[in-house]
Amino acid sequence: MKKLLAFALAAMMLFGLAASGLAEGETVTLKVWGSQEDQELLGVLVENFKAANPDTTWDISLGVVGEPDAKARYLEDPAAAADVFAFSNDQLLDLVNADALYEVTRNLDAIVAANSAGSIESATLDGVLYGYPMTADNGYFLYYDKSVLSEEDVQTLDGILAKANEAGKKVFMDVSNGWYIASFFLGAGCTLGLDENGKQTCDFNNEAGVAAGEAIRAFTADPAFLTGDDSVLTGGMGDTICAGVSGTWNAAAIQEKLGENYAACKLPTFTLNGEQVQMSSFIGTKLIGVNTQTAHPVEAMMLAEFLTNEEAQQLRFEMREIGPSNSNVAASEEVQANIALAALAEQSQYGVSQKYVLGNFWTPSEAFGLAMENQSTDDMQSLLDSMVAQITG
Amino acid sequence: MKNFKAALTKLPQTIGRRLVEGAKILQKGDARTRLSCLIMGFGSLTHGQVMKGLLYFAFEIFYFYFFFGFGWQYLKDFGTLGTAAQERVWNEELQIYQRVPGDNSMLILLFGVLTLASLVPFFVLWWLNIKSSLAAQQAIENGKKPNSFWQDLKTLVDERFHITLLSLPMLTLVCFTVLPIIFMILIAFTNFDQSHQPPGNLFTWVGMTNVTDIFWGDPVKSATFFGIFGWTMVWAVFATFTNYIFGIILAIMINKKGIRFKKMWRTIFVITIAIPQFVSLMLVSKMLTDTGVVNVLLQKLGWISQPLPFLTDPTWARCTVIVINMWVGIPYTMLTASGILMNIPADLYESASIDGAGPVRTFTSITMPYMLFVTAPSLITTFVGNINNFNVIYLLTAGGPLSLDYYQAGKTDLLVTWLYKLTVDKQDYSLASTIGIFIFLIVSTLSLIVYNLTGSVKKEDQFQ
Amino acid sequence: MSKMGIKARTRAANTAIYIILSVMSVLWLLPVVWLLLSALREESGAYTTYILPKGYTIHNFTRLFTETELFNFPRWYMNTLIVAVLSCTITTFLTLMVAYTYSRLRFKARKKLMNVSLILGMFPGFMSMIAIYHFLKALGLAQSLAALVMVYSGGAALGYYVPKGFFDTIPRSLDEAAMLDGATRNGVFWKIILPTSRPIVISTAITSFIAPWVDFIFASVIMKDNYDNYTVAVGLYRMIDRENIYEYYTRFCAGAILVAIPITLLFISIQKYYVEGVTGGAVKG
Repeated sequence: MKKLLAFALAAMMLFGLAASGLAEGETVTLKVWGSQEDQELLGVLVENFKAANPDTTWDISLGVVGEPDAKARYLEDPAAAADVFAFSNDQLLDLVNADALYEVTRNLDAIVAANSAGSIESATLDGVLYGYPMTADNGYFLYYDKSVLSEEDVQTLDGILAKANEAGKKVFMDVSNGWYIASFFLGAGCTLGLDENGKQTCDFNNEAGVAAGEAIRAFTADPAFLTGDDSVLTGGMGDTICAGVSGTWNAAAIQEKLGENYAACKLPTFTLNGEQVQMSSFIGTKLIGVNTQTAHPVEAMMLAEFLTNEEAQQLRFEMREIGPSNSNVAASEEVQANIALAALAEQSQYGVSQKYVLGNFWTPSEAFGLAMENQSTDDMQSLLDSMVAQITG
Repeated sequence: MKNFKAALTKLPQTIGRRLVEGAKILQKGDARTRLSCLIMGFGSLTHGQVMKGLLYFAFEIFYFYFFFGFGWQYLKDFGTLGTAAQERVWNEELQIYQRVPGDNSMLILLFGVLTLASLVPFFVLWWLNIKSSLAAQQAIENGKKPNSFWQDLKTLVDERFHITLLSLPMLTLVCFTVLPIIFMILIAFTNFDQSHQPPGNLFTWVGMTNVTDIFWGDPVKSATFFGIFGWTMVWAVFATFTNYIFGIILAIMINKKGIRFKKMWRTIFVITIAIPQFVSLMLVSKMLTDTGVVNVLLQKLGWISQPLPFLTDPTWARCTVIVINMWVGIPYTMLTASGILMNIPADLYESASIDGAGPVRTFTSITMPYMLFVTAPSLITTFVGNINNFNVIYLLTAGGPLSLDYYQAGKTDLLVTWLYKLTVDKQDYSLASTIGIFIFLIVSTLSLIVYNLTGSVKKEDQFQ
Repeated sequence: MSKMGIKARTRAANTAIYIILSVMSVLWLLPVVWLLLSALREESGAYTTYILPKGYTIHNFTRLFTETELFNFPRWYMNTLIVAVLSCTITTFLTLMVAYTYSRLRFKARKKLMNVSLILGMFPGFMSMIAIYHFLKALGLAQSLAALVMVYSGGAALGYYVPKGFFDTIPRSLDEAAMLDGATRNGVFWKIILPTSRPIVISTAITSFIAPWVDFIFASVIMKDNYDNYTVAVGLYRMIDRENIYEYYTRFCAGAILVAIPITLLFISIQKYYVEGVTGGAVKG
């Protein structure tokens, strides 16, 4: 009975939509969420979009919600959330579970063809594409000061620390953040995944994980170790900091501070049970999604596609040095020559997709990182056990 | 608590009495009064109170329109909180999976509560309508003229002035405090969290699960609850008494005879109160990070080589928040205490000094007792305020440092900041509501005990 | 003990007190000074590896008013002012009405209402903010300044305690005399109670005027992403978000000072009444 009713309703709605359709003179009101730094760019793109679709009257407003916060802000009140919003792809699972995203069904083939296979994969669940790939650079790597560290030094974490101590400088990494700290565990061969019920699996507490944990403990105990948030890195780079782990969004600020000594490369190797192991990293993309609560799904999809097409990604790279997911833009000379993006590309061969990370991962892993930063002397196995219990709980 | 129990046991009696009264009214009332049970205002209207009757009738029409036009659609699903989830239907023409909205559990609960609550004023007015009809009828029977509408209105600025004055504030109180509280209490008995979030998903009643979870059902959650509860109490005690004692000492120092520039000293401390807390505390938290100005300064002076973990080490962080809270709170106590100190009769001090009491003796045997006597009620309010002291904790540490023993919480989290983070960051509404109920139980028990002990409420009548 | 001895001891004690007070003043003013320094700092960023700024500028203040593309500070200031004036007017009236009722009028439910109000006031306010948001949304008011005014003045009926304590101290004989002259209770409220309670009216008003300037929780829950309707508190808080803090930190400090100045002045002007409020009118002086 309920089903029947639902279908009847649906039929009515469709009929209504088809009838009213895109009646001329109707104003299409859409809201777009993007990060603070993207606002200027989005303003330009929206104007271009309006110019490209002059037949409809558009009323498009911009809201400032950064990609990392998109899920939380969306879930506060889906109906009041933006029609089109940017998010990082680790939120994909949670958003799909909340039935927040329209499937990408219009122009599917063209979108798949235009973007790199990895970026499409990062937005796909069970064979369904849920987001329009916007960037392919949501990862991290090493920035360093050429005047202090040589290309040789930055190959190993031990080498970096030794040189930094010699020069009285600091090595920055935000260890109290699950996103960064995972690079040790993933590098040691641990995995994060999903079981058949869609629950998180995590084996960071196995033997390799314990060894990785000890490596983190040794790293945080080093006098040259420095932690904090992005503003600490950008504030001290070249001054008291000679190397730091971060992503492309800080490239401009760091380049400005380091000037000629600006350099970037893949993450170093670290010592695991006496051997050198390459640090891994999370790699992800930023996507644009279309809210299922939107009143104008078709127009919202048009806009989402427009915001992520080749020209938009080209412009995004020019204005913000953001790594494109669009294959043509990624192949262009300027992108290839970009130091930060080259380092990211170098690192990405060791990266692990963050698509299967659920929201429950972040708080416990941050708590573990904090324990390390505070030089906790607790038994590593039991620390990791309680972390994994909370992640998978 | 006693009052509450008494009220509960009296409830059946009250209802019984009303029923008897109702029966009597129907017995005494004529046909017009009886008909008022169905058509509100009919009695008043036909007994010569036209305006009153029309108003009653208009209310009934309006209420039925509200109830059946709006309330019922939510109330009917109140037991299940909705069964139809949002569905996807393929639309060939548009080439999209169109969404068909399902039931929205939250709106069902929210407006269900509203509709249920609206029954209370309806029945009250319905009751008054019958009674007033009877009163008018009896007035006519006794050969008197029933009150005119104008006379009724006049009583509203005099004998019944309290109704005029209270109706608007009470309305806002009900809308912005009472109903939302009822709603949130009910949330505690549902599974409303991130994976049951309308409109994409439904949530439903789960009984006492959340309550048992935080007490014993879920080891991590109960460890978190008791750990945070313990710290909340420790914090409230320290935060209250450090501020109280040091604030009084500061006031005594400033007010001491012979100390000059009293106004200047007071103003210096008042300035820190006046700067909004979200500014001053954010600033202090930035000053205390590893790379903040305090550590930089200490390192430059060569006093330390490694930054001090003011906000990142659990024990350090707990001490830091208490100390910073003194920075926030002492000026307040100082202000109050200054006012009270000036009122302590001077002869008390004179006789003490004749007895040869030193400053310490004077403080413990005269100043403190007097202060305690005057400020006891406000001390309780402060204590309760500290249990719920959101700003200081949230702005300084945000509850951190996070702990692996805790569920989504850190070592300086109070119950109230934990609640906030669960609500805003995790959308774990049901757990947050459960915590909220317990905060309320703790706080209200404490206050009621103390208010009853001090008796200030009982005696308030006799002041005048 | 000789007289000189006592004098010397007093002088020693006073010197000690001066020293303690000076040290405390420095400690208390340190963050304020730091706020000023940061607001005047030329270099951006939240952290520096040095204490004194390398360059000083007042640009942080002027840019708040000139660069309004994203963070429209002047508009937020106006929003806050509007909300503060409205909610202050409404709150003051409602609070005084309730306080007068409880203080002067006697009716059946009086005691019960006072006790219930006492208990309701103890619920952590933002426990109910989600529900309030959706109620307001159902009224079509979500993300509007009107909603904010309603939220700030919605709890007015719970703030009766202090003014009631004050009204209680006004002699009843005044009311009675007026009523003998034919005044209604309504007349007594306007002609007797309000004029004699100027201090409490002023302090109630100023307290409720300050609230919108310092609250960032309710305002952000209600306004969400609607930057145009932000109040200064929410707006400033946004400036120090992770993604903004590097660029906007010094402007945050500048904005904070612009908010703090009026509040400081207002607070200093009512500090006397604040004391009476806390002690429930037990102190007069």
